[in-house]
Amino acid sequence: MSTATTPSALTPPLRTPGFVGALISTDHKRIGLNLGIMSLIFFLVGGIFALIMRSQLYEPNNSVVSDNTYNQLFTMHGSTMIYLFVTPMALALATYLVPLQIGSPRISLPRFTLAGFWVWLSGGLIMQSGWFTSDGAGRAGWSAYAPLSNGQRTPGVGMDLWVIGAGLAVLGMLMIGWAVTVTILRRRAPGMALLRMPVFTWTALVSVLMVVGAFPVLVFAMALLYANRMGVAIFQGFTGAIDWQDLFWFFGHPVVYVMFFPYLGCAAEAIAAGAHKRWFGYKAFVASMMAFAALSMSVWGHHMFITGGVVNEYFAFSSTMLIIPAGIEYFDCIGTLWGSSARFRVAMLFGLGFFIQFLIGGLSGIWVASPTLDYNSYGDYIVIAHFHYTLFAGSVFGFFAGVYHWFPKVTGARLREGLGKVHFVLLVIGTNMTFGPMFALGEEGMTRRISRYPTNPEWTTLNQIETIGAGIVALSILVFLVNVVVSLRRRVLAGDDPWQGHTLEWWTSSPPPPHNFDRPLPPIRSYAPLKDLQEQIEDAEREKQGAPA
Amino acid sequence: MPALALVDTRHEYDHLGEIYLAIAAAVFAIVVLFIIFNAVRGRFRALDAASRTHENNPVELGYAVFLAGVVAALLWLTFSTEHRVDTVSLHEKPYTTIDVTASQWEWSFYYPQGGITHFSGFHGRQPLVVPTNEPVRFNLYSRDVIHAFWVPYLRFKRDLIQGAREVVVLDFDRPGLYPGRCSQYCGLHHAEMVFNVRAISPARYEAWLRSGGRAAV
Repeated sequence: MSTATTPSALTPPLRTPGFVGALISTDHKRIGLNLGIMSLIFFLVGGIFALIMRSQLYEPNNSVVSDNTYNQLFTMHGSTMIYLFVTPMALALATYLVPLQIGSPRISLPRFTLAGFWVWLSGGLIMQSGWFTSDGAGRAGWSAYAPLSNGQRTPGVGMDLWVIGAGLAVLGMLMIGWAVTVTILRRRAPGMALLRMPVFTWTALVSVLMVVGAFPVLVFAMALLYANRMGVAIFQGFTGAIDWQDLFWFFGHPVVYVMFFPYLGCAAEAIAAGAHKRWFGYKAFVASMMAFAALSMSVWGHHMFITGGVVNEYFAFSSTMLIIPAGIEYFDCIGTLWGSSARFRVAMLFGLGFFIQFLIGGLSGIWVASPTLDYNSYGDYIVIAHFHYTLFAGSVFGFFAGVYHWFPKVTGARLREGLGKVHFVLLVIGTNMTFGPMFALGEEGMTRRISRYPTNPEWTTLNQIETIGAGIVALSILVFLVNVVVSLRRRVLAGDDPWQGHTLEWWTSSPPPPHNFDRPLPPIRSYAPLKDLQEQIEDAEREKQGAPA
Repeated sequence: MPALALVDTRHEYDHLGEIYLAIAAAVFAIVVLFIIFNAVRGRFRALDAASRTHENNPVELGYAVFLAGVVAALLWLTFSTEHRVDTVSLHEKPYTTIDVTASQWEWSFYYPQGGITHFSGFHGRQPLVVPTNEPVRFNLYSRDVIHAFWVPYLRFKRDLIQGAREVVVLDFDRPGLYPGRCSQYCGLHHAEMVFNVRAISPARYEAWLRSGGRAAV
């Protein structure tokens, strides 16, 4: 049964010790961790950009930064968060966890994965290096619409570096995504049929399928944009402008789901463990994931309702259809909690927070999927509120659910529950203070990407609530960082399986050994093999006590 | 003038939005109640007493079919509204036509009937003058990057893209001064690309045109 069990006898790896060794290791855990740590650093950087913007918007005609700097800040905030934090962090989780969850001693194409990490990191650093050029960093928005992004309208080396950086970052993530795809298809342990893969692995699989399908388009588009900036006439006139948007959003919408599914998987795993029940409705969930992925490749035109360049009805149809798989997810979340023995550990709280807060993002997503409603909401603060409720109130909460759930596995030590609860409460308050008022501001006519707004007492109040909320978010992130430091310094040992986990990563030691499993894997007969074992033990005990199983 | 056939974008948006908002609020309340109720009830259950039921595919299938019905209903509402806003409005006979040209970072409003051109944005502060309760046809052009013509009061916006003319027919239901702005990021002074709409009665509008745009509005 267990071919993946005695790997240390197969190939004793050549290891370079120390810091350099950590940077060139082909162990998927090391690559995943490096990718995750770098993404987290970019998260802090992007967060600082956001805090500067929120300070500028504290007053209607503030002058914390110039218009030019503000434009760079929102461009780099969006670019940093999307190209350098939420997406790569999703892949970092997949790189670290997928081989463990499918019972594999390693990732496929390990050197290719490592190269992908370095390509991505180079892209990120190149993009950020724009700050140190005389024209400043990229300033055409994270979506770099043509013709604004051409060499005449946005000249400068910083913008060139942005184009190259974004292209390389996406290329690196494409490489990692490909390696994860191959790993899932080729390296599952005996018994691990596709329909026995854990919930998180399924969410990772649909994500990397979309990476493989959509990311090449952006790499190609960035190459074309670079040529366009160098004077080759590519994105010209009306069709050129629409062509860019088609190419960009063919990447740009699927990436939204890459930034969503793995965090949904984190929340699901955290809730299943916290509820002491296996995830409900596995088959329906898998089917909904596949439907989600298929639909999300065909909704990009809903970013273009007001251009007059797409068939609005088609994209309204495909986008509104997302209600069906999303409804199944929520059904399965409630099904898991139904009849559960829920315990409110921090990972569980973040998992529940993910589902509840993401719902606001999801429901407002149905709103903007309607062209007539989008004619008002497009480009204003309703859209900002909508996607921050999906990406921040959703994905980031899912991310923290994953961190609190798997931190013991990765480090061997538990995060502090008390600090974690402070972190959670502050983040809930801060998030809703920051992004809730944006719905009202958008409805009243505040457009996005402006550094100054009309003097209007109500707008000023709403903006000030948002800025204070952003400060509370920053505080909560600080509490999280303190929690990490404290938990690593004064370790509370977690043991192999602190949560009575359901999946194979809890079968091995914390942190796992170089080849993941030092003992034979248990039989894999479902998507929760360890839960099967726990239930067998429970049944045996009940039988011993004479109670009916 | 076919006053009854006027498509009022604000009214259409508010009407559709109310339905969407009511459904969203109900869904949010129900889902959150279910999540919190079940989680809290689970808190008081012994660890080994958790249910082992983990699947109910017929119910999920029925639920998916129900959701498909919801999708169909929402799309029917949206499509019938969109038909009025996008198609019916274009078939109204315009009372007047105004050419709106956007450039970095200025709006120009050209009134062919009066031979008037006014500006608003980074330099100019002249309002866009329109008659009330009559279909106004706007020809939208851009001289450079993409801009968007947005009048929040109308709950409507449309991109202006160089190389194409976008045509929209809009109706202003009552006299007043309404803010408008560019809502597609267009470069350095995007925040300054603002204008006001001054809606006045058709009689006053005619007089204003005859005055060459010099009469006070």
